[in-house]
Amino acid sequence: MSGGSNLTAIGVFAAFVAASLMITWWAARRTHSAGEFYTAGARIGGFQNGLALAGDFMSAATFLGLTGLVFIGGADAMLFTVGITVGWALMLFVLADRLRNLGRYTFADVVAYRLHPERVRILAAVGTLTVAIPYLVAQMVGAGALIQTLFGMSYLVAVMIVGTLMTVYVVFGGMLATTWVQVIKAVFLLAGGTALLLLALGQFGFDIGRMVSLAAEAHPQRSIILQPGALYDDPISVLSIAIAFICGTAGLPHILMRFFTVPDAEQARRSIGYAVVFIGYFQGVVFVIGIAAIALLSGQTDYADEAGGIAGGANMVAIHLSHRVGGEVFFGIIAGVAFATILAVVAGILLSATAGVAHDIYARVVRRGDISDSNEVLVSRIATAVIAVTAIGISLLFRDLNIAVISTFVLAIAASVNFPAIFLAVFWKGLTTRGAIAGGVTGLIVVVTLSVLSPTIWVGVLGNETAIYPYAYPTLFSVLAAFAVTIAVSLVDRSERAEIDRAAYRLQLVRSETGP
Amino acid sequence: MTSPDGASLLDDPRFRQLLRRRGRLRWSLAGLLTAAYLAYSVAGVYASDLLGRNFMDSPVSWWIVIGYVLIVLSIALSLVYVRATRNLYASYRLGVSEVQR
Repeated sequence: MSGGSNLTAIGVFAAFVAASLMITWWAARRTHSAGEFYTAGARIGGFQNGLALAGDFMSAATFLGLTGLVFIGGADAMLFTVGITVGWALMLFVLADRLRNLGRYTFADVVAYRLHPERVRILAAVGTLTVAIPYLVAQMVGAGALIQTLFGMSYLVAVMIVGTLMTVYVVFGGMLATTWVQVIKAVFLLAGGTALLLLALGQFGFDIGRMVSLAAEAHPQRSIILQPGALYDDPISVLSIAIAFICGTAGLPHILMRFFTVPDAEQARRSIGYAVVFIGYFQGVVFVIGIAAIALLSGQTDYADEAGGIAGGANMVAIHLSHRVGGEVFFGIIAGVAFATILAVVAGILLSATAGVAHDIYARVVRRGDISDSNEVLVSRIATAVIAVTAIGISLLFRDLNIAVISTFVLAIAASVNFPAIFLAVFWKGLTTRGAIAGGVTGLIVVVTLSVLSPTIWVGVLGNETAIYPYAYPTLFSVLAAFAVTIAVSLVDRSERAEIDRAAYRLQLVRSETGP
Repeated sequence: MTSPDGASLLDDPRFRQLLRRRGRLRWSLAGLLTAAYLAYSVAGVYASDLLGRNFMDSPVSWWIVIGYVLIVLSIALSLVYVRATRNLYASYRLGVSEVQR
């Protein structure tokens, strides 16, 4: 898998980069105001935004990572496949239009609508950065490792390429460039995934039953892989995973920021409706690809490492499968698509981190809104470069970072810190500024503590013998704790500010339905 | 659409009806999907053997088939929600414009 395959992969990736740089050049000429920088002037159509939303979520973790998870744990990965689609549908029912009507650039605008603007923006910025920076680093470390394996490039060069391109997209093209880069990547990924599915099914004469039977025979755990329980067999872990998807998806800042790129609530609903269709379809495809990989790659020495495991680790399963079913050229295409996927995703995350720093902290807290539009754009561009350099630096220093650990951690933080404040701000009249801050801080402390004490970090990273917190995921407890503290503190809050917070709910309710 | 005293819209019976209908639609769909997913997740722990059985005569398990049913259900309910919400707003706006005439 070298030589010709690398040329195809480089060709696909070069075509993507050329197209994305042309888009950035085009977008740069249309990006002048803060509104254009953060939300593309709220002029993106529902269908395009739906594709971009799907692209934002369909990262390397949901394509390469989930295929690898099916390959290892079989049908238990259905918990993730279903959870992702359900989480998106719930976000549509519960939050989509209300967030669009209340916000301007970031989810902090929504929480700050009736609560103390400066205090809750600091909380929202902390929630944004604790999600965005680790997520950014995880994607870049993953990209570095992937490029190293695929193209034989050094890790340093790979991270620098990804870091430089994402900075160029965001600094010059803002949300407009990021959106169209994401749209192109989503089309690439949906088409590439479908082609991989069809080629894989073709190996079994398009007989799904035959494919499943062969997978059950080939997997070391045999037919047990077709039933639940191979990876998670306790209700706490399973409920934690479910809550991470139900609450975490609606707490990801780079996803929520996209709600403000469309003109109104109607388009917001349409765009998330389209996103549910694309994401649901893609998750369904990825699961079948994983099962096909079990049948076609298990025991194949060409794709195994010296220890008998899959070469390059479980994240490489989809890439190996593309070679197995489509040869060198198709392998190159899928490798190029995987790289393009990572590149587009990091640009979206970088933009959300920038908005957290430049808009929420600098423009709204430090300057208290006393800043010209052009100055805010300038600060945003500087912030983009600083955050990008920081992320590149961390990625180079911690290249052995466990990507799966960080990705899980990110969704747990989004669910425990951001979601309770957003949900209660929109739906509960009794929420006060003190309650929101107390709940957010509690969520953050509980999620970090339980994550460190869990088997993944306490045993897997720190090398202890037994975990103090025995479950894989913290979200069941951290989300419950965040909600409980937010509600309890709000209920006992008798401050003057609390009265203002509660009294403003009526106007907020009207605005959340009718828009500005 | 929201004036400085926009909260007075909450006293309008047509707007209150819109809020009630929107709330019913939102929470019924969200409740149905959340309950189905949580039940599916927990059933995977307590009824693992049962869900691992073959679906009819195929080698595919009930667990996988139900998983795909939930994905299709999520997509279908999302499309229902987008359409139904658009109709609710259309009927509200029609009511308001009839009164204004």
